[in-house]
Amino acid sequence: MMERKLRGRGIAASWYGIARTATIDRAGAWAEIDDGGTGKIVTGVTEIGEGILTVLAQIAAEEMGIRPEDVTIGDNDTARAPEAAHAGATRQTYMIGNSVALASREARSALFAELADHWGVAVDTLKAFNGEVWAVETNQRVSMKDAVKICKARGVVPVGSASFTAHGTGLDPVDGSGAPWQAYVFGTQVAEVEVDTYTGEVQVLGIWAVHDVGRAINPRGVEGQIEGGVVQGLGQALMEDYQTVDGHTTTHGFAKYILPTSLDIPQINCTIVEDPDPLSPLRAKGIGEPALVPTAPAIMNAIYDAIGVRIKSLPATPEKILQALRERHAANQREIA
Amino acid sequence: MPKLKLELQVNGRKVSREAEPHQRLLDFLRDDLNLTGTKEGCGAGECGTCSVFVDGKLVKSCLMPVAKAAGTSVQTIEGLAAPGDLTPVQKAFHKTGASQCGYCIPGMVMAATSALRENPNAGIEEIKERLGGNICRCTGYTKIFEAVEMARDVIAGEMPAAVLEEDAVGESFIGANVRRLDAPSKVSGRLKYAADMKMPDMLQMQVLRSPHAHARIMSIDTSAAEAMDGVACVITSADVPGKDGFGVFVHDQPTMATGKVRYVGEAVAAVAAEDLLIARRAVAAIKVEYEPLPGIFFAEDARKPGAPVLHDYAPDNLVKHIPIRKGNVEAGFAQADIILEDDFSTQQVEHGYLEPEAGIAYVDADDVVVVISPSQNISHHRHMLAEIIDKPINKVRFIMSPVGGGFGGKEDMIYQGMLAICAMKTHRPVQLNFTREESIIASAKRHPSKVHYKLGLKKDGRITAIEFSMLSDGGAYGMSSEGVMRKAAILSCGPYEVDNLKIDTVAVYTNNTPSGAFRTFGGMQAQFATESMMDMAAEALGMDPFAIRRVNMMKVGSRTHTQQELTTASLDRVLDAAEKASRWESGPPTVRGPARKDMNGPDTRKPCTLGARFETATPGPTEAEKVA
Amino acid sequence: MLTCDTYHMPASLTEALSLWATAPEGSRLVSGGTDILPWAREGRAGDVHLPELIDVTRIPELSGHTIANRRVYLGANTVYQDFLTNPELRKALPCMPYCAIWFADDQIREQATLAGNLVNASPVADGTPAVVALNGEIELARLDNGKVVRRILPVIEFIEGPGKTKIAPHEIVTSVILDAADGYGGSFQKVGLRRSLVISVACCAALVRTDPAGRVFESVRLALGGVGPRPIRLTQVEAALVGQKVSRAVIKDIATQAADAVASRSRQDYRRDVVVNFVRAALEEALANQPGGTVNFQDGEELAHA
Repeated sequence: MMERKLRGRGIAASWYGIARTATIDRAGAWAEIDDGGTGKIVTGVTEIGEGILTVLAQIAAEEMGIRPEDVTIGDNDTARAPEAAHAGATRQTYMIGNSVALASREARSALFAELADHWGVAVDTLKAFNGEVWAVETNQRVSMKDAVKICKARGVVPVGSASFTAHGTGLDPVDGSGAPWQAYVFGTQVAEVEVDTYTGEVQVLGIWAVHDVGRAINPRGVEGQIEGGVVQGLGQALMEDYQTVDGHTTTHGFAKYILPTSLDIPQINCTIVEDPDPLSPLRAKGIGEPALVPTAPAIMNAIYDAIGVRIKSLPATPEKILQALRERHAANQREIA
Repeated sequence: MPKLKLELQVNGRKVSREAEPHQRLLDFLRDDLNLTGTKEGCGAGECGTCSVFVDGKLVKSCLMPVAKAAGTSVQTIEGLAAPGDLTPVQKAFHKTGASQCGYCIPGMVMAATSALRENPNAGIEEIKERLGGNICRCTGYTKIFEAVEMARDVIAGEMPAAVLEEDAVGESFIGANVRRLDAPSKVSGRLKYAADMKMPDMLQMQVLRSPHAHARIMSIDTSAAEAMDGVACVITSADVPGKDGFGVFVHDQPTMATGKVRYVGEAVAAVAAEDLLIARRAVAAIKVEYEPLPGIFFAEDARKPGAPVLHDYAPDNLVKHIPIRKGNVEAGFAQADIILEDDFSTQQVEHGYLEPEAGIAYVDADDVVVVISPSQNISHHRHMLAEIIDKPINKVRFIMSPVGGGFGGKEDMIYQGMLAICAMKTHRPVQLNFTREESIIASAKRHPSKVHYKLGLKKDGRITAIEFSMLSDGGAYGMSSEGVMRKAAILSCGPYEVDNLKIDTVAVYTNNTPSGAFRTFGGMQAQFATESMMDMAAEALGMDPFAIRRVNMMKVGSRTHTQQELTTASLDRVLDAAEKASRWESGPPTVRGPARKDMNGPDTRKPCTLGARFETATPGPTEAEKVA
Repeated sequence: MLTCDTYHMPASLTEALSLWATAPEGSRLVSGGTDILPWAREGRAGDVHLPELIDVTRIPELSGHTIANRRVYLGANTVYQDFLTNPELRKALPCMPYCAIWFADDQIREQATLAGNLVNASPVADGTPAVVALNGEIELARLDNGKVVRRILPVIEFIEGPGKTKIAPHEIVTSVILDAADGYGGSFQKVGLRRSLVISVACCAALVRTDPAGRVFESVRLALGGVGPRPIRLTQVEAALVGQKVSRAVIKDIATQAADAVASRSRQDYRRDVVVNFVRAALEEALANQPGGTVNFQDGEELAHA
């Protein structure tokens, strides 16, 4: 006789490409090191919750030698910002991050050129970090606030701009050959589930998610993307189903279209792997979409491990699972008979 | 309609106002008191973004007729802390990264505050239960829980308040867990999303949507709507000034239906009026005569001979077919020791961002048509709108409002054109706020998929050939189907080096809700099939699931399915790390569940049985004792 | 969207009944508001304009509860959260906390009334089987020549079908009356697509009392919801259990009998399977929740004799 609650584990591996598919991708950015030792970044960045604004502030801060909280990022406005195109294709850290890094570097170079001359040192002896600028092996050190004053007093506003390109090629129309992306990421997730054989309900108790992101600019932000992606994957695996009959939906609102709540989610254990991208200044790649790819098959493989039924049609609702269990039981009975 | 006279307290202030009898507390707070931190994510009590305290009890204000608030004391997100300050709960949300798009966050902060007020010692299970009425689509809840536990411990004095501040800087800001810049504005409810914005003289727009999946439009009579008091304009496809048509890949979708409708929920006409109620009544007064047409509701029927043609330019209803060929699959299967063949399917999935679509359009003093909306691609939208309204591109301006979740669902320009045209006709700002139901039927979904998979392998687990074919219902308009088919095809056979491949992905037009861009763009549907097949193969060959993947994994120098040589590859490291982190017990996937010993570890959660609070069943704190 | 001409908040039962008796056609009573507002939306009723809404939640006579004569008299404005937070109610109504914790979420529980839920008569309403298991009755009031007259009906008769009850024109629910079942163990089972704020596919309420030694069933109540147009009280199953040994084998056998009571229009097989398993789980958990005593499953003995 079957125990009521049975557990199992499954895995799934995955891969994904970074930035727009099978085409050349581009992003532009402007940078300025500003009064008070602050920074301005203007670029067509589309923050949709993934955390790109903070990532860009960290990148700009690192390149300019100031603090992330000193960076102001301009609004995404076609009349005010250079094109950096869209939020999608797991492209913003890669395309806009690199563009902002290069633009910030140019602004810093402008500043350093003036400061080096002002101090009478070689420009490659200058370093800046966390709001201070200094020349190595000398006692020349100023706040970034003062460095900007010096630069501007010399008649130079430290600005920079950049455009970053990702060289995807199109695909051959017959055999699909081509180089759709210049950067790839890999991932694997392991799922542990408990299946209630009385009701067919599945609870996911643990997910171990390992993803290569090239370089994690903000590790907590990467985790947030993984956790969000896993739960979306879980939702598709077990409960979400947009249904129509003759084109009319029967799932018109959230009472019928079931999204995961706080009570449905597993403990999510994230491991970030860094396989740096050789083609970009920052070496970072991306995580937004890759986080979601392996979750559903890992859960289905775990269900199989628990109860020996393979669900090949998502979502794996309690009804489908009980039906599959019933069929398997009947098949076993026929075998025995 | 006699107005209600209301006297109540809101965030400690006495409020004395009149309200319409039909208003909900949510409307009163947002529209009359400009307290827009409380959101309408669904209007039906399902999402929790409308949560407020009424006489100390957390309730869903979208379900509360405003009369019920008379004589009560209401506290909203704006009232939790003094201006410029944040409570420990809010600070904890900032610190842990619990806020992503931010739309669920005011409601979630309220629920967390309520949880700690009701039980300052609540454990994780009780915290989860008390947050069970609030949906988050971005974060996966994990860092929200972390924030509530952190706040609990700080308030109780178990952790120092300093943990809520930014971590000290290390050697570099790259790799640092810098707190999110935009979190304070989100946890305090101060950030204005498009639906929260108000401009003087603003009109409300509502859209008439098709009740038919496929029908010819015989006539549209807008006269009754136009004659109504308070209606500023009524528009149809006839009012589109330029070359109509938008879409991420193919511009096959009209701003409003032209000649015929192709899916239930398609925009047919729009009304701009002085307020929402008038706009809705005017929409109901528009008379459209339809002649229903036979429709296509299954992807398999779209290319059958005699199927109705949905778009003249695509007589076979094909949106896109992407083929990939490598090597020789027949030879590959001939070499195989085992061949597995199976079918998989995935469903249409709704994005479910907590912020329903919204936007404002106006014409500025320089005659620039300005559209404010949470669009995921304002560059492309500007291109398309300029042609649609026949204006030079620098006379069209798109401003991205803060996005309350996108995931690909806000890439399609499904309402901005109508807003722009109403703004151009009236020279007043025009706002449209989708209802949740409207968002669900009108906006794109993740492509469903039907995959047929044939996999040949040697006894040692090496794949010799894969035949993969995927059919997707693209629905009524092209949207991102071309790109989704392309990405699905490229990624389909997984991160494995396979010499012989035959891949075909096909998206077709039907009269169902359109499918479009949604996180992974075809990648997860395709790899769902592949990763299921890999485990089935592992079982058949008696191999551990990690082992079979290692045998086939792509490495530096591997050729991908599109014959690109990889200069970097990390699947080996990723597989190793996953095996280690999960303490995986090796063995073939032969239903080992009952016997395996690597489960139920400290890195898993307990199954949810509900009732955590029964264990700590003491009377709750008095008002004066409440901590959060 | 729900709109109306007038929203009344009467301050007494007489005032409410008087308004209700003279309200124009189409007017409705409002209790918590948690059913009517989601109903008036696209995909369901759409935009609805009603002449008058009469809100009963400020009527003092409908608040609070009393316990007398082994019965619990709940004022119609009792909300679901009360079953979790009120210690008297938790003790007297052992299956209600488990039912309540499955009902929607904390916010909606503060707003949704048990009475409103019963009158709404959704076939998948969670409260209904729990009330039926507690021999629930509903008290209705109306005006007769200016005087308030009341009548009481068993809830199992009151609910006629999906959305249909025996509430008469101009009547208002004043009270829900339940058995005070102190000493019973209670439980509630529910299946839905996720753990919280979900519509039941099927649900089951159970109350169990054994002899002081925990070896024999003395009294059992079992009710099902969501498996038919009306709630089902499994009276035959209950009777069959009285006097039986507490054992897993007995419970399993009785649960199979419960499946025959299932008559649902859709998803028949699934609901049937679920019911068998539910009833087993319901009885086992109710036994485990019995206050005070230990429970002695007799399977050990029986297997030894097999």
